[in-house]
Amino acid sequence: MPDTYFYRYDDYDRTLVGERVEQFRDQVRRRLAGELTEEQFKPLRLHNGLYLQLHAYMLRIAIPYGTLSSRQLRKLADISRKYDRGYGHFTTRQNLQLNWIRLEDAPDALAALAEVDMHALQTSGNCIRNVTADHFAGAAADEIEDPRIWAEIVRQWSTLHPEFTYLPRKFKIAITGSPNDRAAVRVHDIGLRLWRNDEGEVGFEVIVGGGLGRTPMIGKTLRAFLPRNELLAYLEATLRVYNRYGRRDNLYKARIKILVHEVGVERMRADVEAEYAETRDGLLGLSSETIEAIAQQFAPPDLPSRPTVVGAVEALKLEDRDFALWLKSNVAPHRAAGYAIVTASLKPAGAPPGDASAVQMEGVADIADTYSQSELRVSHEQNLTLPHVAIEDLPAVYAALGRLGFAEANVGKITDIIACPGLDYCALANARSIPVAQRLSSHFANLARQHDIGDLKIKISGCINACGHHHVGHIGILGVDKNGVELYQISLGGDVDFGRTALGTIIGPAVTADKVVEAVDAVVATYLDVRNDGERFVDTYRRIGAQPFKERLYETV
Amino acid sequence: MAKNLSGDLQVASANRLADGVVVWLDDAGEWTTRLERAAISRDRRSGEILLLRAQAEAFVVIDPFLVAVAEDDDGTIEPLSLRERIRASGLTFDAIAADAVRYA
Repeated sequence: MPDTYFYRYDDYDRTLVGERVEQFRDQVRRRLAGELTEEQFKPLRLHNGLYLQLHAYMLRIAIPYGTLSSRQLRKLADISRKYDRGYGHFTTRQNLQLNWIRLEDAPDALAALAEVDMHALQTSGNCIRNVTADHFAGAAADEIEDPRIWAEIVRQWSTLHPEFTYLPRKFKIAITGSPNDRAAVRVHDIGLRLWRNDEGEVGFEVIVGGGLGRTPMIGKTLRAFLPRNELLAYLEATLRVYNRYGRRDNLYKARIKILVHEVGVERMRADVEAEYAETRDGLLGLSSETIEAIAQQFAPPDLPSRPTVVGAVEALKLEDRDFALWLKSNVAPHRAAGYAIVTASLKPAGAPPGDASAVQMEGVADIADTYSQSELRVSHEQNLTLPHVAIEDLPAVYAALGRLGFAEANVGKITDIIACPGLDYCALANARSIPVAQRLSSHFANLARQHDIGDLKIKISGCINACGHHHVGHIGILGVDKNGVELYQISLGGDVDFGRTALGTIIGPAVTADKVVEAVDAVVATYLDVRNDGERFVDTYRRIGAQPFKERLYETV
Repeated sequence: MAKNLSGDLQVASANRLADGVVVWLDDAGEWTTRLERAAISRDRRSGEILLLRAQAEAFVVIDPFLVAVAEDDDGTIEPLSLRERIRASGLTFDAIAADAVRYA
């Protein structure tokens, strides 16, 4: 049995990453020796994922398409303990951030990462960033094809791509292989959705120009159906058009979404197709052998037949209400009979969303070893996923996660909050995010109430850069600074579900930090009063509009 | 307690190069991790001089800048902006401990 069922570095990958570590070690030495100025050094450290935040350096570690082995997670725990403060923050781009790294230690931390085939390349800078994918990839019952095969192909193509290392602005690609989009493909620079056409062929819908941040936009379809073997050539043509015409005169207008908005998707499509016509028969065509070789790396694990109905699980459901709720919210269908996908909630009541201590990381790695083929995923919703759990093992997994504080039955519920690091850590933020998330999480902690409220996603950003995805939160919260006071804008109606992707609408004047919980409470109370049977919050909002929510909210605060 | 909130009072701050830790420049021209030891400029001209002194330390710290502070009658100083108060006093919540198995 291989130790992982996903891509394993070859000698080329190892050499590349190893050389970069030693190169950076020398750059750090020269900076500390006074041979490089900060102006000279800053782009070098950023190319290795090392930012300077409010209190310290922050290392952003790439977790390609959110897939981790237990061995890698254990190493992340070890690095966090040895070189940081013993905890890490899983982000909305499926990365891990360590917030207290010393510059002196950064090369050793990167060398330790390289031991488990990991790095921090392209987690900063105006390049193609870490490619993200559905966190149920390789396991989901609704999956047409494993998106990680394609994410890995894109990773190999885009890593240190010389033409795309200095794009007008950063570039984010997300891939989903399922009709139920869990990768938010319509709000990325390029979103790729695998689907099957009427002829039974699988290809990509290529979506371009989505994004959040200062100017949120929903991506538009550039190509409705792209044969899979043409992916890299078509991406190269698209990136080339962006690199040529994307604006470099204004940082805030440099993303591809602005280009698509300004020229229109028809013109963009024409330019891409013209470029593609020139290059499509070049080196980037993917042979079936190449695709198959990568696909083999993601071959599904050998899952022995296990029972689909288990008496002990059914009995515990009746005895333990919280377990029954957990089954509903944190356990998803697996494509193999007798198995399930389990989400470990990194959102226990009152905790900073997405944070895990070294001991918790090691604990989850142990659970993955025992119950999930040593595999894990990181979700863009800042949780960890155990992709291959036998249904009969669910009680044991629930108990083990409970001992780590990660068995909260709240996935997709009101306390499964996405929050950026905010002003507590981030040099760009205007307001705090995490304490707001903590107060909301504590206020709505009651699990029965959460499940009564149903699916409701709160997303919080501490500034307009929108790392907390507030634009697409059913309830979005944006922290702003007004004359030195933190205020929070509330927006309603955002959504990332495929076919229903929508940007939220700001409901009215911003509220002070101490009123955010009351404001959200008023919105939720309005929904509970007027919802139809089985109607989700966001569907009620669409049916009745903002006014009833707005009236109640501003009567309350 | 009366505070001088005029915005005229400033200290020089930066992050230390080797580890990124927040530091302030003291009267002796050393970088200190203790805000209460920071040298205070009380007018625009002395602020400019303080910043020039700080910027001369480009291989010890990163990107020094001036921080507006308030001063109590007893000489206690506090940054005026929330961002700088957080830089001075750390996270406004308790981070999880390395050996913790749950958030308390």
